[in-house]
Amino acid sequence: MTSETLPPAFILLLGAFVLLGVPARVRSAVFVLFAALGFGHVMRLPLGTTAVGNFAEFQLILLSVDSVNRIFGMIFSLIVLIGGIYAWHVRNRGEPVAAMLYAAGALGVTFAGDFITLLIWWEIMAVASTALIYARGTAESRGAAMRYLLVHLLGGSVLLGGVAWHYAEYGHLLISALDPSFGGAWLILFGVALNAAIPPLHPWLPDAYPNATVTGTVFMGALTTKSAVYVLMRLFPGWEVLVWAGVIMAIYGLIYAVLANDIRRILAYSIISQVGYMVTGIGLGTALSLNGTAAHAYSHILYKALLFMGAGVVLHTTGKSKLSELGGLGKYLPLTLWLFMIGALSISGVPLFNGFISKSMIISSAGEAHREGMMLLLFVASVGSFLHTGLRIPVFTFWGPDVGLRPTKPPVNMIIAMVVVAALCIFYGCYPSALYRYLPFEAEYHPYTIPHLVESVQLLGFTFIGFWIFRRKLKGEPLIVLETDWVYRRGLRGPARLLVTVVNGTFDAAARGRDRVIARVVDMAQHPLRPFRPAAAPHYDENEDRLPLGTGLAITVLFLVVLAVWAAQ
Amino acid sequence: MKTWHWIILAVITIASVVLQLWGPQSAHPHAWDRIPGFYALFGFGACVVIIFVSKAVGKAWLEKREDYYDE
Repeated sequence: MTSETLPPAFILLLGAFVLLGVPARVRSAVFVLFAALGFGHVMRLPLGTTAVGNFAEFQLILLSVDSVNRIFGMIFSLIVLIGGIYAWHVRNRGEPVAAMLYAAGALGVTFAGDFITLLIWWEIMAVASTALIYARGTAESRGAAMRYLLVHLLGGSVLLGGVAWHYAEYGHLLISALDPSFGGAWLILFGVALNAAIPPLHPWLPDAYPNATVTGTVFMGALTTKSAVYVLMRLFPGWEVLVWAGVIMAIYGLIYAVLANDIRRILAYSIISQVGYMVTGIGLGTALSLNGTAAHAYSHILYKALLFMGAGVVLHTTGKSKLSELGGLGKYLPLTLWLFMIGALSISGVPLFNGFISKSMIISSAGEAHREGMMLLLFVASVGSFLHTGLRIPVFTFWGPDVGLRPTKPPVNMIIAMVVVAALCIFYGCYPSALYRYLPFEAEYHPYTIPHLVESVQLLGFTFIGFWIFRRKLKGEPLIVLETDWVYRRGLRGPARLLVTVVNGTFDAAARGRDRVIARVVDMAQHPLRPFRPAAAPHYDENEDRLPLGTGLAITVLFLVVLAVWAAQ
Repeated sequence: MKTWHWIILAVITIASVVLQLWGPQSAHPHAWDRIPGFYALFGFGACVVIIFVSKAVGKAWLEKREDYYDE
């Protein structure tokens, strides 16, 4: 394996090991160094590069670069680099190591050419990202981390089952588009859909992301769902079920984003809503819709990172992240406010920001496929994005009455990272061809046409009016909103109690019975006469239990007599 | 929101309706494209429906006290 065919994931994996050993004062620099090396390496990998390795009897394709995964690899490695700057002030060792390992997993999955390689990196991602939740250190985050891990291990296991079936069916493990008539494909879809947070497999996401560390959520928001989107795009393009799954996601996410109280949870739900567009694009399966998915993943990672960074600054400097406890922060965090607004305008699809150039591509591809109903539902989701992320979060966090919070000064590295991402959001919004030239398929598209601008201006302008009239209804309330994880957090408590209590009770009773029998046997062996004695009598009574002197004499005499008789014969 | 904010919004909306009716048309037109201000009505309607439906579902069913899972 030469330096040209070195999988980028290996650079970050090495980085994770190096980070374990270096002292705290250089750790952030080492993180950024390895992230930069990884990014630079991805950027200069030529299309068509492959690298193979062997594992047992299988040939693994550790690296397989083409125009589909290159764009995902570019944005993953770029956001890890910027995330490293955002996390420069973090002093503990666990978080950077976990983040680096997690990023290695995401790049490994992205460039994997076979299912075994994919599965290994897939599981590394799951475990490393769990550490980013756990590192928050609260009781709530520990619970969320455990649920996150269990759910992802379940998804990984089902995926493994599908992969084994794939091998049995086709005799190879190469990653290529699957056919719905193959049963194993549905197991693989389950595993990947879980990571893509397709309802009802999604509740780990809004559970975990608001509970992760301030800097950890920035990485998580970028990597897990979008690497799953990439795998969906690779394996399931044109699957009709995904068209519907995507539209349902887009609407589902927005309903919960309107209800949620924690700003990072609102952003988590808006990930689900945004990934819905991408999943729909994959389901439509046309050159334009798949390009739209790749472009939207790219744009989404940028503006969602920016939004999570902004929410992270609020949490870092005030210790609060619930809308019901926030308000009036704009005059203390003016720069954060405006940087956050750039992310908010981007996600809302405002022209000249990067959400516009990618989201409109997917909606247009639905229109070109004559899916009018779907197109209108995606417009509803656009209205929702502007409503919950573009208006609800900033209005109730930065404007509104001052609730008396006095934020500390945010670390300068956090602001620098936000400035970089915000600049990229505007850059791609103004120069879409800088992104379009990396798109995998041949499909001409022009976002800045008069009809598109008319559509956006009217939609967003009147969403704003609706918001303004009814804004009081959107205030944060100190409540939680039930999710499908109710099933395992509460609904299954009865059956779980039945299973656990009955099984444990049986084992406990059996163990107690065993101990009683053993105690009895031991007692009997030591004191054979005990059963013949009144219960009150002592275990050993020397007057009763000691053999009489005569017994020994009698046996001796008897023995001598027998001996004498035998000798006399 | 100051008065001039609303004036700007009104001007942009009127300009968009003018462009919608007399400007260049989409290469892939839809039935609703010719309805003046369709997207404005749709945006406002969708916004109101989202707010009321979400809140109704939340109040009736999904919203619980924060210690719901701790009991």
